[in-house]
Amino acid sequence: MELIKNGKRIDGRKFDELRPIKIEVGVLKRADGSCFMEWGKNKVLAAVYGPRECFPKHTQNSYKAKLTYRYNMAPFSVDDRKRPGPDRRSTEISKVSREALEKVIFLEYFPRTAINVFVEVLQADAGTRCVALTAASIALADAGIPMRDVIVACAAGKVEDEIVLDLCQEEDNFGSADLPVAISPRTGQIHLMQMDGILDEEEFKKAFDMATKGCLEVHEMQKKALREKYEKIGEVYGNE
Amino acid sequence: MKEIVVPGDKVDGKVESYVFREGNNAYSMVLGVMDKKEGYDKIVPLNGKYFPQVEDYVIGVVTDVKRGGYVLDINSPYDAFLASRRRYDSGAVIFAKVGDVSEVRSVSLTMDKQLYDGELMEIMAVKVPRVIGKKNSMVMLITEKTKTDIYVGRNGRIWLKGGDIEKAKRAVLKIEMEAHTDGLTDRITEFLK
Amino acid sequence: METSEIVWEIKKDSIRKMIQSGKRSDGRALDEYRKMEFLENYIPKAQGSCLVKLGDTQVLVGIKMDVGEPYADSSDRGNLSTSCELVPLASPDFSAGPPGEESIETARVVDRGIRESKMIDFEKLCITEGEKVWTVLVDIHVLDHDGNLIDAASIAGVKALLDAYLPKIEDGKVLYTERGDKLSVREKPVSSTFASIGGKNLLDPSYEEERVMDSKFIIVTTEDGKICAMQKSGSGPYNRRDIEEMVETAIRRGKEVRKQF
Repeated sequence: MELIKNGKRIDGRKFDELRPIKIEVGVLKRADGSCFMEWGKNKVLAAVYGPRECFPKHTQNSYKAKLTYRYNMAPFSVDDRKRPGPDRRSTEISKVSREALEKVIFLEYFPRTAINVFVEVLQADAGTRCVALTAASIALADAGIPMRDVIVACAAGKVEDEIVLDLCQEEDNFGSADLPVAISPRTGQIHLMQMDGILDEEEFKKAFDMATKGCLEVHEMQKKALREKYEKIGEVYGNE
Repeated sequence: MKEIVVPGDKVDGKVESYVFREGNNAYSMVLGVMDKKEGYDKIVPLNGKYFPQVEDYVIGVVTDVKRGGYVLDINSPYDAFLASRRRYDSGAVIFAKVGDVSEVRSVSLTMDKQLYDGELMEIMAVKVPRVIGKKNSMVMLITEKTKTDIYVGRNGRIWLKGGDIEKAKRAVLKIEMEAHTDGLTDRITEFLK
Repeated sequence: METSEIVWEIKKDSIRKMIQSGKRSDGRALDEYRKMEFLENYIPKAQGSCLVKLGDTQVLVGIKMDVGEPYADSSDRGNLSTSCELVPLASPDFSAGPPGEESIETARVVDRGIRESKMIDFEKLCITEGEKVWTVLVDIHVLDHDGNLIDAASIAGVKALLDAYLPKIEDGKVLYTERGDKLSVREKPVSSTFASIGGKNLLDPSYEEERVMDSKFIIVTTEDGKICAMQKSGSGPYNRRDIEEMVETAIRRGKEVRKQF
């Protein structure tokens, strides 16, 4: 399979081009905050409950809210049907994603409560952990949870000999490195980073740069989606 | 045009609520509307649970009877305690004031008054100020036009009794839905005709 | 906006009173479904899929096909397997963990409706008799719980199957990403759930109505007006006349829903 041909990737994108992204805010009735994202062929639904009473009581923290993050893939989301339930990969992704949010949310404002983040991957096409965390950030804002920033995640990688942004499934399967990154756009600080594959120092820096730029681009879309949801209501009912 | 802010957006240093400071700058903590009024700016959150503040009037429901008082559900992640000599049964609807909130968010209520019969509804706590209006103007408008007795709790609970109660409830829901827009008072007046 | 537990207790009486006078809080008649919306082929990578919105309830069903060995007593027929996940994001009452009894009941009732109506032609799912057959895997993923998950799941499952296809087989290899033949289906079962509240039976209960109900009754009907699955779910008892009335309503309303397929 030729992944790169004439300076274009297998899906026609440039090396530093993101897949098309669509964001919908507040799509669920029961959840306190929610966000549905389509990112390339990925379809991900994120929802937040909380702050709410923390059960079981003995897990309550007197100083701050307890944050949980559950990343889950629907059985039909992948080519080879996945058995329902958490697997080791989902558990690891849940952990690093929760850790990405822990210093961003003002947990100390809500002692003894729980803030629960749930993300369901409905259709997967590489980069799902980035889509999930990006959508979760929006859902947290939608729920009215105070945060220091709306964090965002994006990956870059190496395909054949090129460093490219936002790998699609074929590139992830046959590429030689994948680097997902989550940043706080306001401060530039990194809240999630993982890497697998092989990169030399130069390549790593290039991929890091590219992923960061991708993050900032997606962040503009996050803000736009959040504003648009409420501006729409304003339009219908009159704004001066 | 009202401005929507998201967490992390830089705002004017004079804003006091729902902001955090880093260095010389102030940033919004929440997704909210920037309300520029009479020379001062305010952030009004667009969503969020109720967090008890001292001096708030709330509507609670008795869930447990303890020594010397009652535990009330106040539609918040935190329960409230009411020390009272009056006799209340489980399920009693009480209008009370938040007297104290401890560091671990234990809430004490005072000045309790039971609300009998009537209907209880819940809206988003952040929308309550709009239902009350400046100097109670909005809630008084609804009461005047529907003849319904209304108690509004800062915790998002509203108790209504008598009059055209269905119309009053619909007016409240309309305010909740359109809370962050302009021209609301006129539209509600029109609606209540 | 989530209504707290304690306020539910207070609301129960007024909701029940209203229903006694034949009124539902959303203005529906006692035998009326909420607005139904179908988003077909919602998961293009799956072999079939449909997201159903029933009022504010949202259920997504995905169909995957897998090749495996047939059961010993049906060596020339394929198989059907249905499962359901009540994921925690759909309701504050759902928690993560292995399927509980509600999840399992939902999956099994939906499965019965599909299986007993003879909707799927299992013989057409045979690849090599005694060796290789297709298994149709129906996965129900509940996304937003505003009542009546079973009807929403069943309708989504049926719609997804109506548009499903088998993967292509080339030189003995299964190409999951290529479309082969359309799944052979020959029935369109429709599920009708009734909530029993103070002796009245309400079709397509909302979450609020399910909270105050005494029991639930599910009837699945076929195109030719027959019953192919039934379930009394919950502890409140029924009398015979009510059950017969519900059957009549299910067949009648089922026909209307089927038109939307």
